[in-house]
Amino acid sequence: MKSLNPFKLKIIFIFCFFTLGLILNAFLNSYIQALAISFLINSMMAMSLNFITGVANQFSLGSAGFIAVGAYTSAVLTKEVFSDHWYFIPLTALIGAGVAAFAGFLVSLPSFKLKGDYLAIVTLGFAEIVRVTFLNWNYVGGARGYNAIVKWPNFMTAYFATGVAVIITLYVLYSLKISWFGRNLWALNEDEIAAEVMGANIAKNKRTAFLISSFFGGLAGGFYAHNMGYISPGSFGFLLSVQVLIITVLGGLGSISGSIIASVILTALPELLRSLPTGGIDVRMIVFPILLILMMIVRPEGLFGKKEIWDFFKKDNLVKK
Amino acid sequence: MKTILSVENLNLSFGGIKAVQNISFNIYQNELLGLIGPNGAGKTTVFNIISGFYKADTGSIDLDNVSLVTMKPDQVNKAGLARTFQNIRLFGNLSVIENVIIALQQKIEISWFHSLFRTQKYLILESELRTKALGLLKIFSLDQLADSPSKSLPYGLQRKLEIVRALASDPKLLILDEPAAGMNHSETDDLKKLIQFIKTEFKLTVLLIEHDMKLVMTICDRIVVLNRGEKIAEGTPAEIKANKQVIEAYLGKRS
Repeated sequence: MKSLNPFKLKIIFIFCFFTLGLILNAFLNSYIQALAISFLINSMMAMSLNFITGVANQFSLGSAGFIAVGAYTSAVLTKEVFSDHWYFIPLTALIGAGVAAFAGFLVSLPSFKLKGDYLAIVTLGFAEIVRVTFLNWNYVGGARGYNAIVKWPNFMTAYFATGVAVIITLYVLYSLKISWFGRNLWALNEDEIAAEVMGANIAKNKRTAFLISSFFGGLAGGFYAHNMGYISPGSFGFLLSVQVLIITVLGGLGSISGSIIASVILTALPELLRSLPTGGIDVRMIVFPILLILMMIVRPEGLFGKKEIWDFFKKDNLVKK
Repeated sequence: MKTILSVENLNLSFGGIKAVQNISFNIYQNELLGLIGPNGAGKTTVFNIISGFYKADTGSIDLDNVSLVTMKPDQVNKAGLARTFQNIRLFGNLSVIENVIIALQQKIEISWFHSLFRTQKYLILESELRTKALGLLKIFSLDQLADSPSKSLPYGLQRKLEIVRALASDPKLLILDEPAAGMNHSETDDLKKLIQFIKTEFKLTVLLIEHDMKLVMTICDRIVVLNRGEKIAEGTPAEIKANKQVIEAYLGKRS
């Protein structure tokens, strides 16, 4: 029935991923390597937002808030509790994700009745509250930011650890998307009243979606902190939320793997445009939005729409059925 | 006869408007009760109170001796009441079968662990859901269309699918809100057969709100008539046809 065994496909994918890491490590400079890591982290952020905004259709502008909570929690924990050992980073990032998930849960409590723009305002407000809290909190450095966070010892560790986190995020969010829970969310997305009448508990489903999404946002934040080695409230402003949203929309709202592809493009594109001969003027910020606008006109549903990358390989099977 | 739904002294006002005043009626097992009335009589408001969207000011609603008064719509559904809508509310971009599966899956508990790791148990559960949904669709000969998006169906079939979806949640009482609205004669005839079919085949109790008098008069066992938020008559179709107040409410008084 199936042309490509999904299990084999997964093995091939993971193999390619790690080979790519080895190639990057051996042959390419640290600039490309840094880009690779930041692409991985971006795609994690985008996937987490995609789950709440794409799959569950809850327009959130607060991803920077969850990322910040995860980043600060993880950074402080490694320094204060785990005395700067890098091998505790995955653990602290997970704890940071847990705290972010709790924050997501708190946000969802008063806002489950809100939709669209109204929810966006609430989540935006939440992100600002988080930012301002860190800004005025001397323990975490206030406006100076939090310094000298322990970093990964070398590129390979960073690449593999972050890569594993990305794969786990992709796996979990995708299996949830195609599970009964994802179906519930699609139903809410289509018609809330009908879903409620069919017996779906709307508030509970939305809360859970928020919880899951902010968990992975926080996880991405933890990896972000330990990749940069320095975080400040300024890194988690409104712009970050918008940047993550752009990646998500470009990849396709509802396509988890699409977010990964989009984050490759949107991480690489500004860097490629950097080399444009512009005579001292930074035209990147003009070209970049124009490309996005064109994209939205040509393909408003994003690169992949609601489909995943591997759905395109399976197309012929669908026709047969 | 066993009472399935009993509504007693229901009252609801929106500001100064008394939308529903002291309405009481009973529905007995395996009965088809029609609820009619001129536009603005409060039929849909009564529906919305029963199905949990509005909270009644006073009054009681019992479904099979369980009080529905404080329940939310999803709890009302779990208590055994399913409804359709006047303007069709399908999950348009989802396929026909997914519409049914969503109704089915609310009745079972699926663990997060199994669904996350897609264990054997979960996959079996999924295929069982699919088989069950397909079986239900087959009864209503919609199984050929199982994988097409439900919004691509013609109007009459969408209506049918909405009823199938309501049936999938295995209700004790099915409420149909103006199912014949916007249908032509042949579609209404099909609908009539469909309603009679589900009533006998699934041993269901049905509450029907409808404007199409021909339909109501031919298939209902009993009829309750509302006007201006009050119940003005109750009885068999023949009794209702002869009732003076009902004629007045619809046609006005002879001067």
